[in-house]
Amino acid sequence: MKLNIVKHKFIYLAISAILLLPGIIAMIYSMFTYDTHTPVKVGIDYTGGTTLQYGIKEEITNNKLTEVRSNLEEAGIEKPILQIINVNSKDTTDLKAILSIRTKFIDEESADLDKTTNVMNSVFQQPELVQVTSVGPTLGKELFKNSMIALSLALLGIVAYLTFRFQFDYALAAILGLVHDTIFVVGVFSILGLFYGVQIDALFVTALLTVIGFSVHDTIVTFDRVRENLKYYSKKMTFGEIMNASVNQTLTRSINTSVTTLITLAALYFFGGVTTKDFVLAMILGIAIGTYSSIFFCSSLIEIWEDKKI
Amino acid sequence: MKNKLITFWAIVLIVIASIVTIFVKPTKLGLDLVGGSRLVLEAQPLNNAQVTPDMMSSLQFAIENRVNKLGVSETVVQRSGEKRLVVEIPNISDLNQAKAYLGETAELDFRKPVMLPNNMEAWVTTGLTGKDLTKANLSTNSQNGQWVVDLEFNAEGTKKFAELTRNMVGQQMAIFFNGELQSAPVIREPITGGRAQISGGENGFVYEEAKTMVDLLNAGALPVPAKIIEENTVGPTLGADSIAKSKIAGALGLGFVMIFMIVYYRVPGIIANIALMIYGLILFALFKAIPVTLTLAGIAGFILSVGMAVDANILIFERTKEELKAGRTLFTAINSGFDRAWTSIFDSNMTTIITCAILYCLGTSIVKGFALTLAIGVMVSMFTAINVTKNFMHLIFGTGNLKNPALFGLRPEEIGEGYNVVETKREKAKFGILD
Repeated sequence: MKLNIVKHKFIYLAISAILLLPGIIAMIYSMFTYDTHTPVKVGIDYTGGTTLQYGIKEEITNNKLTEVRSNLEEAGIEKPILQIINVNSKDTTDLKAILSIRTKFIDEESADLDKTTNVMNSVFQQPELVQVTSVGPTLGKELFKNSMIALSLALLGIVAYLTFRFQFDYALAAILGLVHDTIFVVGVFSILGLFYGVQIDALFVTALLTVIGFSVHDTIVTFDRVRENLKYYSKKMTFGEIMNASVNQTLTRSINTSVTTLITLAALYFFGGVTTKDFVLAMILGIAIGTYSSIFFCSSLIEIWEDKKI
Repeated sequence: MKNKLITFWAIVLIVIASIVTIFVKPTKLGLDLVGGSRLVLEAQPLNNAQVTPDMMSSLQFAIENRVNKLGVSETVVQRSGEKRLVVEIPNISDLNQAKAYLGETAELDFRKPVMLPNNMEAWVTTGLTGKDLTKANLSTNSQNGQWVVDLEFNAEGTKKFAELTRNMVGQQMAIFFNGELQSAPVIREPITGGRAQISGGENGFVYEEAKTMVDLLNAGALPVPAKIIEENTVGPTLGADSIAKSKIAGALGLGFVMIFMIVYYRVPGIIANIALMIYGLILFALFKAIPVTLTLAGIAGFILSVGMAVDANILIFERTKEELKAGRTLFTAINSGFDRAWTSIFDSNMTTIITCAILYCLGTSIVKGFALTLAIGVMVSMFTAINVTKNFMHLIFGTGNLKNPALFGLRPEEIGEGYNVVETKREKAKFGILD
């Protein structure tokens, strides 16, 4: 397989646009429709609130779910958000599913926890409170601010490092690649939020940062090869030819690395813990798109750039 | 050859040391894996007063005392930022009660009666408080067998109490705990011995009530009100399930990666797999030695770093194969595989370390665990993927006996002329197999 970046650069950019567009639409739609005006559905980490997770030993039917919801509202729990998480291991526990109930922040004086447990006890047989996560409202805002700072600092740190090791225009292309990957992952989660109620939490931002680190990894390997080839062949070949050669030389490596990482992530996704599923999904999406962007997107950008220079 | 063997035995030593560490040291598992609660308490002073470091130290001291009274082992109380404490408690039967107990202010004060202008009686503070105590004890009243709380004053408290009681003979003195009237005995004579007793009023104390009061009094009052602003509690079932699943996921992930490496890269693939196993051993031993508390996110970071560790070897082997196809000799190909891949490996790992550092500084505890394991993983992988793999490659291929291109997963026609050239002494020396 030989890729011709120079010839097909606009096709690759168009593919990127097609991949990103649905997510961007979902993000804009979400910003106008959600109360929080965020492009994705945000979890209690950022809004504050309490999530109670009960392990259930029986099937959760729709009737039961409605019953839980109405009983909770009767007990004075405002707007509870219910979500069923499937437990797919039969060997370690006898739990069939986890019912997650999200409410407003329950502090130590509130009786809402007992009320909720009473409701659960009345609807299910021996439900077990397996996880409680609570974030105070002011803390939520602070966590959100910190996450945004972390994201921007990571991007800045990478730009600084790349400028130092390569040149600024390579750094810029790599950063655009990262933005490309971030928009894709956030976009997919925006769509998942709209259709399946998937919320993002602090782990999601961690996943994004890891993806950023990984994606720039791939891009660096390609650019490193361009740099090396420029040193030896800049007199004999045009920049386009060098670009094509470099991408093709690093192609197998880029794909193989992503494949091995995706293998480990797939194992985590299918066999790993329930609580890290969305986190792993974000990384799978990010690494897949990161591989695409470093092979096709970033090199096309550099190519167009260098073309304009001459 | 000598250098290569020294490196080889050094690697063997490191592996043995790692295995010993793994067997000797316990694994520190996070609360999300073993079950338990992580609470964040924030000092919320009245009237938005400033929280001083002194205030925080005494708050930490008081909370530590209270947590110790819970009677569970391996609790942790740590400062976090300017006005927060992180409290970790392994599974306990009644968390709600524990939570209420942690935030309890525990203010004890002694009050005396005054007549208000409208002929109503009210209690005013006397200045004698829980701060004047040395300790509180639980005991029973010898006459009616009810639970009582015995108080012992410190020197200053004894003086204050003696003076108060001297002035108040014949009057009632009220004991308030957290603003609630506990009992109001009549003072019959001055008490100079520095001891007092709280009986639970007419109905007496229930055991738990008296016990909690004693514990709180001994732990000391909170210098500033504190509230729980974050909670993360995981039940033991979910934790056990997460451990079991992470093991399966880790084993399967590692297994598939190893199969892939052998199928694609053959002999170098096997070497990479050995390096990968050594990587796993060193990393796990480091986690135990430092020690790093393993959480679910931390394990995810660990498993991800396996993927990244393999990456370095893939870069090297791809380059080696490429050099072989370009007609280089076996030794040159292997060496330039390592040399030329190095800048890529270094640059790309540096960016990962940069992001990990930022995550570690700014992230919450879950995020911190992930960043730390990933960063340690990346650093260890730079060592194993370069040094271990290189050493094994040199020892195995350096003999010059293994020359079949199929060992690299290449067909004979893909290999250039240079492959079959017999290396000169100089080349062998450069490769490190001759002295």
